[in-house]
Amino acid sequence: MTTQQHDPSVYEQIGGSERFQELKRRYRSWAFPMTVAFLAWYLLYVILSGFARDFMGAKLFGNINVALIFGLLQFASTFLIAWAYARHSAAKLDPLADELRHEIEGAATDTAKDTAGDKA
Amino acid sequence: MGVSSVSSVIAIVLVVVAAVLIGAFGIRVSRTTSDFYVASRTVTPLWNASAIGGEYLSAASFLGIAGLILTYGADMLWLPVGWTGGYLVLLVLVSAPLRRSGAYTLPDFAEARLESMAVRRVSSVLVVLIGWLYLMPQFQSAGLVFRTITGAPTWAGGLLVAVVVAVNVLSGGMRSITFVQAFQYWLKLTALAVPLVFMLLAWGTNGSPGLQPQDPWALPLHGREHPVYATYSLILATFLGTMGLPHVLVRFYTNPDGRAARRTTLVVLSLLGAFYLMPAIYGYLGRIYLPNLDRPDAVVLTLPGHLVGGVAGDLLTALVTGGAFAAFLSTSSGLTVSVAGVVGQDMLRIKDGVRAFRVATVLAVLVPFALAGTARALPVADVVGLAFAVAASSFCPLLVLGIWWRRLTTAGAVAGLLAGGGMACGAVMVTIIGGPHTGWLGALLAQPAAWTVPISFTVMVVVSLLTPSRVPPNVARTMVRLHTPETLDVDRGDWRPRST
Repeated sequence: MTTQQHDPSVYEQIGGSERFQELKRRYRSWAFPMTVAFLAWYLLYVILSGFARDFMGAKLFGNINVALIFGLLQFASTFLIAWAYARHSAAKLDPLADELRHEIEGAATDTAKDTAGDKA
Repeated sequence: MGVSSVSSVIAIVLVVVAAVLIGAFGIRVSRTTSDFYVASRTVTPLWNASAIGGEYLSAASFLGIAGLILTYGADMLWLPVGWTGGYLVLLVLVSAPLRRSGAYTLPDFAEARLESMAVRRVSSVLVVLIGWLYLMPQFQSAGLVFRTITGAPTWAGGLLVAVVVAVNVLSGGMRSITFVQAFQYWLKLTALAVPLVFMLLAWGTNGSPGLQPQDPWALPLHGREHPVYATYSLILATFLGTMGLPHVLVRFYTNPDGRAARRTTLVVLSLLGAFYLMPAIYGYLGRIYLPNLDRPDAVVLTLPGHLVGGVAGDLLTALVTGGAFAAFLSTSSGLTVSVAGVVGQDMLRIKDGVRAFRVATVLAVLVPFALAGTARALPVADVVGLAFAVAASSFCPLLVLGIWWRRLTTAGAVAGLLAGGGMACGAVMVTIIGGPHTGWLGALLAQPAAWTVPISFTVMVVVSLLTPSRVPPNVARTMVRLHTPETLDVDRGDWRPRST
């Protein structure tokens, strides 16, 4: 992959673009709450094991108690979040990124044409 | 030497020879400096995920977790959970912007984002300290395993691993390491899984004995003093520390693009999850059959022979021994590449890049080897946990605030790194040299993350707000770079450190 050299204005152009701001917003509004929820979910498990022993030790069927089910759910939730992130990125972020690329590269090509025109 | 020792020594030799051969196989494609460092970004997700798994699963995962679970019970299950969950936090918060920064080591990122050599130097020192802290217990465990098998002095096993790693890294660099690492993951998985099947069969024919009645082993928050604090601290250190480990981050650059990096992380979570189920069962069986083991770190080695016995037991012991050496070699190689990269670029005054990398490799291996001989042998998973705590209290705030907060200043970053990283390092020193201590002080020192991580974040934010004039001049442009999608073909600066 080759990278084109740009003058600094292209960064200002991207930074000012509504699509770029929307992209950042979509990323942040997914990633931050999810990280907090994920950590809280794990920390809650520790607290419940310490201070809600009767609840965690309640047998659901056979030797299977609430703590075991919760533990397995934590295991599953880690995978689910990673998978959801991949889905979210593919569905919400990548298309917008492509639009942004067309916007910027389209503009860059136009500029190049203009410059070529000036020379001719 | 008995039959058991001979077969185990053969297993060690096979693993070492295989690692060297696969490493040599990769030499043909690694010639230039950039090949050495990032394997030219040509590795597929499954290979890369296996390599991440192979590199990540160290002596602490292979031997240490089972030992701690045997000793302290169910609480220690948080170690593997955190060591897996850390990848998710890394993926969601950090990996994509970091890839886009064009910087592929932590000091590179620090310099690119904050435009300051001071931040770069502090980061370099921290990377090297974390790397050495992680390498030291690998060499110690190699010594323990080698002594258990052959009766050789403890330095011998460490020396063997140190030499093989140095030769391998010197001859192939990163590209060959990727193949070695991927091979090592599958070897380690097999080496734990096959003995486990035989052991469970033996346990079944034994009448499936359970724990002693009244053994609080399976109850949560029963293992150590101040268990709620210790567990919270452990969770913080492992979840937030993974992103600050030098050998983990580099791997994300060997993916060709962001989409591949995400796929890789999903595969990594599955591979690690599958692996970590096994040390838990080893710990449980160890609690039933070998509850009073002298060095619990050796439970994975001794259990197959104890439970199965006979020639089959010898062969299984040999398999586990081979797997343990695979663990030492793979993690040490990855760490050595990362530490040597930083030492070669930032600490040596040698112009020739490849030669600097070679000198740095020798240094990267020599220092932790010397430390392994002199420091006290704490449980391996505890020492590695301390390396995570240092990473979580220094690089986690730097990465998260650096990527997401415009007002971070040079002064704030340096102050936060020094405060968080410094205090975590201090706690580590006190624990390793004089510890383990008892009471609240001991708990705070043995698991420092719960207080050092908040301090580091707070210092970084407060000092940044107090020094608004020190915001890097090009922050707007850097932020656009970090958050512009990779498909956008803009100049991200083919990032190279400035020569000083």
